[in-house]
Formats: sequence, C-alpha cells, structure tokens
Amino acid sequence: MTRKLLLLVCCTFLLVGTAAAEAIPCDRDGNGTLTSSELAAAILDSLDARFMGGTVEAPSPVDLRDAAFIYEHWDGRALTITDSSGRATTLTRPLRRIALFNSDTLDMLRSLGLEPDRVVGVSKYVLEDPVFYPEYQGKANLGSIWSPDYEQAASIHPDAVFLYATLSESSCADIEKTLRSIDPGIRFFRFDGYRPATYAEEARTLGLLLGKEEEARRFLSFHRNVTGTVAGVVDAIPAEDRVSVYLESWHDYKSAGKGSGYDEKIELAGGRNIFGENPVEYPVVDPEAVISRNPDVIVKIVGAGELAFGGYGDDDRSSFETVCRTIGNRPVWDRISAVRDGRVHIIHSDVIGGPEYFIGTAYLAKWFYPDLFTDLDPRAVHQQYLEEFQHLDYDLDEHGTFVYPA
Amino acid sequence: MIFVLAAPAAAGSVARVIVPLPEGSGNGLEVTLTVTGIPVGGIVETIPDGYTWVGCDHPDDRTRVSGQNVAFAVIDEEAIRYRVQGPPEAGEAFTGTWEDLQTGESGVVGSDGPRNSGQAAQATVPSTPGFGYAAALAALAMICARRCGR
Repeated sequence: MTRKLLLLVCCTFLLVGTAAAEAIPCDRDGNGTLTSSELAAAILDSLDARFMGGTVEAPSPVDLRDAAFIYEHWDGRALTITDSSGRATTLTRPLRRIALFNSDTLDMLRSLGLEPDRVVGVSKYVLEDPVFYPEYQGKANLGSIWSPDYEQAASIHPDAVFLYATLSESSCADIEKTLRSIDPGIRFFRFDGYRPATYAEEARTLGLLLGKEEEARRFLSFHRNVTGTVAGVVDAIPAEDRVSVYLESWHDYKSAGKGSGYDEKIELAGGRNIFGENPVEYPVVDPEAVISRNPDVIVKIVGAGELAFGGYGDDDRSSFETVCRTIGNRPVWDRISAVRDGRVHIIHSDVIGGPEYFIGTAYLAKWFYPDLFTDLDPRAVHQQYLEEFQHLDYDLDEHGTFVYPA
Repeated sequence: MIFVLAAPAAAGSVARVIVPLPEGSGNGLEVTLTVTGIPVGGIVETIPDGYTWVGCDHPDDRTRVSGQNVAFAVIDEEAIRYRVQGPPEAGEAFTGTWEDLQTGESGVVGSDGPRNSGQAAQATVPSTPGFGYAAALAALAMICARRCGR
C-alpha cells in the first residue's frame, strides 16, 4: 500500500513537472500566447518585488528571461520546428544548455553568433582542435557519435542534444535512445551542417530555434553571394563544354560516385565528374580508368588518413606540393591532360568536406574556369568567413594550408 | 595562432535628458529616457525627494509607480517621457537602473553602456540576473548626488 502511494505521488509530481515544463512562462491566462500585456505585467511585478518593496508574486528570473525570448523571437507562442530528419519538435522554452555531437552544426551555430555559454558539451573532435575551437576548450567531452560518453553527456544536464541527420544514422539513433532513457526531458535535433542541398534551410531553422534570425539572414546573404556568383556563371555552360574532373580523396584512387557529397560539389562548381555515373558512393577506381577518361582537372583532397596534414593548425605548405608532384609522377599519368596542362590541384577537407564547402566550391570553380572567374577570390571569401562569421582572428596570409597551388 | 574575436554584441543603454516643463504647465520637469539596444527589458527610476509624479506617455499597463520609484516595462520602445512636479533645478538627482532581459545585461541610466554583462548567466540559472550590481551603482550614485546637492 505504501509503495503504491509512493508511486502515485511520484507519478503526480512527474505529471505536474511535465505540464509546467510545457507551459509558456508568464502566459497568465494559459491560452498558449504570451501577449505584450502579460509580458509587461511580469516585468513590472519583477521590478516591483525587487526594487520597490512590492509584495506581489513575481516570476522567477529564469521565467522572465525565457518569456522575453519567446515574445521577441517566437511571437509569444510555442515554436514547432522540423529538423533535417523530418521530425517536428515543439518548444515552450529557449534552449540554454546545448550539447553537440555534431561539430559541423557547431560551426554553423558559430556563424549564427551563438553565445558559447549556451553550449555545455561538445564532441572530442572539437576539443582536439584548439586552433579552430579555442572558445570551446574546457567544455564537457561527449566523445564521438561512434564512441559516446553517456555518463558525461548525462552529467551536464543538456536541454538539447544535436546529432547528425544523415551521417551514421544508427549510431545517432543509439545515442538518442540511450540518453532519452536517462533523461526523458532532453530534446534531440538532427542537422548535418555540411550538405549543400540542406545547408541554407538548416541555417534558417537554427536561426529561428536559437533566436538568431537576423544573424541567419546575414550569414545566408554572404553564403548566397558566393554560391550565387558561381552558379550564375556555370549554369550557362552547356553540358558538353564542362570540364571533366577526377576527384580523389586522401586514399589513393578512392573517388566520388553518383550522389556523393563530392560529386555534388563538382557539379555545383560546373565540373563533370568522370566517375559521376558510378553507383558506388565512394568507389576505388582503376588508375587505367582515370587515364582512359583523360580528365581536364584533377582534384586531390588531403587532411585525413595518411594525408592528415594541412588545415588550420599547419603552416607548412611543402606537403601539399609533394602530393601534387606525386600524382604527376604516377606511371603513365603524364598522358592525362590535367597533368600535362598543370591542372592538378590539392585542397584540404576543411574547406570542401564540411560547413565551409562553399569556400571549396569557389576554389573548384576558379580552377575549372579560370577565365570566367577572374574576379572571384576564394581566399578572400575564406578570410571573411573566419573573421566575420566564425569570429576568429586568423590571417590566411600567415597561417594555415588549404590549397595548392595557392 | 588563432584567437577568438569579440562577437559583435548589441550592448544596451538608456540615456536621460531632463528639461523644465514649458511655461504654463506648472513647476516641474520633463524627463526623456532614450532606450538603445534593449528590445525587452525594464527600467526603475528613482525620483528625488521633493518631486511628485505627474504622468507619462508610456502605456499604463507598462508603468508602475510606488512612492518615489517608477518602473517601466520596455517592449520595443525607444523613448519614454515622464513628468514630475517640483523645483526645476535638481535634475542631476534623478537615478535609475535598466536591465536587458534578453542578454541579462544591466546598467545605470545615463551611463554609456552596460555595467554588468549577463552572458555568463546564460547557461546557468541565476538567482537574480542583472540588476544587483547596477542597483548598487545606482544607490551609490543617488547618495553621491544627494550629498553633492547639499
């Protein structure tokens, strides 16, 4: 009997807690809309109680702050957003304690001006990169999506956890299931932060979710300026006139097949992927097949695997030159037009594989059609991105290695 | 090496301009508070002894008067005008504090910007964000103003 009573009490508390969590703070009539009158009354009650000796029951500082956010950013109503996995989530409070397993989304949030104090946990990759993520050093280490630290993730009491939408879906699903069983109150959001097809929509959604709508508009204007400049030129190039491109990852002869992210980026830059019809996303190709298809341009990606150099933490550009020379020295590759014409280019994954993909795409476009993009300066785009949107004091003239030839 | 640049923050402020009431309107002052960069917040003004509240152009449901204190709820307003009755020469004795409820910043009315950044309180649950430090400054300013006025 006593145990049943205890269970009943616990359930009642849980129900009350859930109901309270779902109400919009300071919405006095409980109709689901916080009006300006309700907000004003809450502000005055708070000021009255704290500074004017009033005895009226005032809202808590947290309720008041959240109410101000909801009124200003969500028109006083609950916000329902749909993430990139297609899941709709309704929020009645702003997110204050964010945990991110997805570093690409963290870059996007930084572009939107998210205050680092709102982030309580990050992936181990963020902590391993103090050059690019200096302000996140010291945050809780969540591990990775393949090896999550559940204890750590639960201990920081996040109100939201961000995971990938389409990358390693089963691992992300496992993380969500486990953390939800520990704390049913955690909200989960799935965003990629690196896919061209969903990039702009994700930035808009995140801007709304975090109260950074204006910042999202500003960032997307910058992003659109770059992508639009490239698209405006390459869209007019007939299919038969497009340069043929062989793209190779950091693994020798591993290329990009139909529908892969790199295939999409070659197309965005106006190129024609010589393995674009290969149904395997990242096929390992025969060197003879490359020779026979005789690409106009070769693009080699470095920054991982055996070619884990370059990027923000590496100022030595000699390794890029070595990679470029090695490709030209492959047996019989001197017959390939790209090698003969000196059109072999090296690019670091930081500017082509993640949220900075549009910078890499600008480089590709310039390499593919140098005569059509004389005014396009990808390095200047990169510098502006770092200073204006990533808020980093990083001079590309002095630091980092991202492309070769520069 | 790489460093984090200070993110552009829209720091708030509230300026105060005091002018005598026009002739024929009685003995008193008109106070104009110009609000910058505070979309949602609050202001508490303390009217010096010897002055009495007359009225304001701020909506009634965003204004509360209690003794010598007046509270204003700020929701997207850029200016608030209020009138007090009393001698026209003690304008500097007005004191006030403001709070930005979005950023948690607070400050003293008439100073250049926030005196207390609320950024650190964003991820935690503060007991009373903002106003504490500003209120202390305002109290000091009021004491100083009163002493200097003697």
